[in-house]
Amino acid sequence: MKKRPTQKGFKSPGENQVSELLILPDGRILVHNLTQPFAELLAELNPDCEQIASRSSCRTEVKADVTQTTFALLRRGQSRIIRP
Amino acid sequence: MIETALNERSTDNHVREDRVFESGNPRTRLSAPRSVLARERAQIARAMLADCRFCAHDCGVNRLAGPNGLCHAGAKARFFSAQTEVSDELELVPTFAVALSGCDLRCDFCITGASSWNPHAGAGFDAGAVAAKARAALQNGARTIMVLGGEPTVHLPAALELVSLLPETAKLVWKTNAHGSAQARELLDGLFDVWLADFKFGNDVCAQRLAKVPGYVRVVEENLLWAAGHSELIVRHLLMPGHVECCWRPVAEWLAANLSGVKVNLRSGFWPAWHAARHAELRRTVSTPQSDRAIALARQFGLNLIP
Repeated sequence: MKKRPTQKGFKSPGENQVSELLILPDGRILVHNLTQPFAELLAELNPDCEQIASRSSCRTEVKADVTQTTFALLRRGQSRIIRP
Repeated sequence: MIETALNERSTDNHVREDRVFESGNPRTRLSAPRSVLARERAQIARAMLADCRFCAHDCGVNRLAGPNGLCHAGAKARFFSAQTEVSDELELVPTFAVALSGCDLRCDFCITGASSWNPHAGAGFDAGAVAAKARAALQNGARTIMVLGGEPTVHLPAALELVSLLPETAKLVWKTNAHGSAQARELLDGLFDVWLADFKFGNDVCAQRLAKVPGYVRVVEENLLWAAGHSELIVRHLLMPGHVECCWRPVAEWLAANLSGVKVNLRSGFWPAWHAARHAELRRTVSTPQSDRAIALARQFGLNLIP
């Protein structure tokens, strides 16, 4: 039986924390697979967003893994968070 | 011969004997430890792959011989995500969410389409390794463990094996498209504390056009009614642009008439992902007026919306 080729640099799911977001022209941000570190970051950027505040306050001990690039993008607008 | 063998090993007697309802509590109570039942049922489910009828497509193909059904899944499960998340229903988060690759539906707007349509995506599923991560997540503050996909029903043997390795007290969530079969329900009965079920389309025309699934509404309604009587149920509807009247209204109306008081999460963050652009109305997000209209409908029907 033929073996599947190993993907170079492939990491098993769960090795990294991954959140996805979509920034819309009107300033809204859609978030998918929101992790707590990311929620905390979003809450810092927009403390008035109730949806995100309630989620950022959930306490789990997971390490943050948020890139500077993403941070810079988020700082540009006052946004409300909508969960897909 | 296969059918006879499976019938002899049918889950019916085994599962039904275990079912005891406590007064006022719809949740099935198990007479044996959950882990034990899950292990037994995982074996049964694995044998049933020889004549797979886990979902309502009712293919009847032998998945032990290869990926022959509409879901294209073989016998071995893979997964594309396993992490603690906080974006689900507030009462469930933080949840350690395990996403199995592959699905029996073909929703063009699927936000995880690349992995959900492809059962070969991600990594091979090692129930022991994932269970260890789940236990660690629980120790670190996760409130629940959620099994999802794709569609986890496609990989019932793997999902049940995972359950067999989780602590008895862990609160488990079955996140499903509610397109499973009666056989699948029997295997799942009593193992999950919460069924988190999608009701995506309010009519069969939209379901066929957007997800290539026939007879959708009847199947989902049947599953939701069953789930409400056997576990805690939360119904999700992802609001789609241009589908407030054709999809959300009938869903809301049906829920009000048939599952009064059930928890409903109306999600307005439609994301035009995957093949959404194949459909003109799905090339955008949901506008604020549409979202407001959907909420007004929910209030009109007296739905129990939860965040």
